[in-house]
Amino acid sequence: MSYVVDAKGKPCPTPVILAKQAMAEGHDPFTVLVDNPTAVENLKRLAGNQGFTAAVREADGVYAVDFAKGEGCTACEAAVSSPLPAAGGDWAVFVGRDIIGDGDRELGANLMRMFFYTLAQGEDKPGAVLFMNAGVKLPTLDEQVVDHLKALHEAGVEILVCGTCLNFYSLAEQLKVGTVSNMYDIVTRMQKAGKVITL
Amino acid sequence: MDYGVITFSSTYGAIYAQKVLKEVAPIQVMPVLREISLGCGIAVRFRPEDLERVAAALAASTLKPEEYAFYAVTGRGDHLTARPIPDGAASTGSAI
Repeated sequence: MSYVVDAKGKPCPTPVILAKQAMAEGHDPFTVLVDNPTAVENLKRLAGNQGFTAAVREADGVYAVDFAKGEGCTACEAAVSSPLPAAGGDWAVFVGRDIIGDGDRELGANLMRMFFYTLAQGEDKPGAVLFMNAGVKLPTLDEQVVDHLKALHEAGVEILVCGTCLNFYSLAEQLKVGTVSNMYDIVTRMQKAGKVITL
Repeated sequence: MDYGVITFSSTYGAIYAQKVLKEVAPIQVMPVLREISLGCGIAVRFRPEDLERVAAALAASTLKPEEYAFYAVTGRGDHLTARPIPDGAASTGSAI
């Protein structure tokens, strides 16, 4: 029987940290048990980034994610673990709130919609747009911003949305566009970007 | 026209108009096109087929006719043209 990590009930990013520990300790294959879909998505991405395959089984609300080292050579592993080449430009937009600037909320919401309108219309697109805290209300609840994000996504822009934040605001079921993500992926996109514009 | 744009003499007008218009047609907020004004401002974008409905809704609102203006936008980038739609767009909409 393969090594099992029980991460049920553990908040993000604990399941990912525990899985990384299992990898570092050389366990292969191993299984991580979690109890929510966000953790499953995070673990699948971790597997992809680390050259593992991840198979998911579910029973009674418990997900078992089976990690196994892919058939690999060093070169493939390096290719897998390197960040995805951004289809957009070498820059990222970090959105930590649902309005632009301080002051009137309604004006700030309009400015945010106009920002994404302009971003989606322009030629110079970012490689990634990263949403955290109240920023996650945009790819879930704001119809106009969702439209613009879909256009950006189709143009190859990565849309990463903080899963912890979606859960905090009870919006996980309402994500209309983008990938549920975590601090690791979001920080990596920031580190790899030539510049990060924070709204 | 590819789409219509309404500009406003005040930001308050632009925000109020959205409340009125989202009940009658799908609209988007956008920055005022450079071709229309060098100033920065909030504009509302609508579909050509909604012109009459949108114009009628604004005419029936508390906004005065001089507080907003309609434009018909065609093309994009360097080939973009924005043509004013005269007053009374509600009645002449079909001619655009």
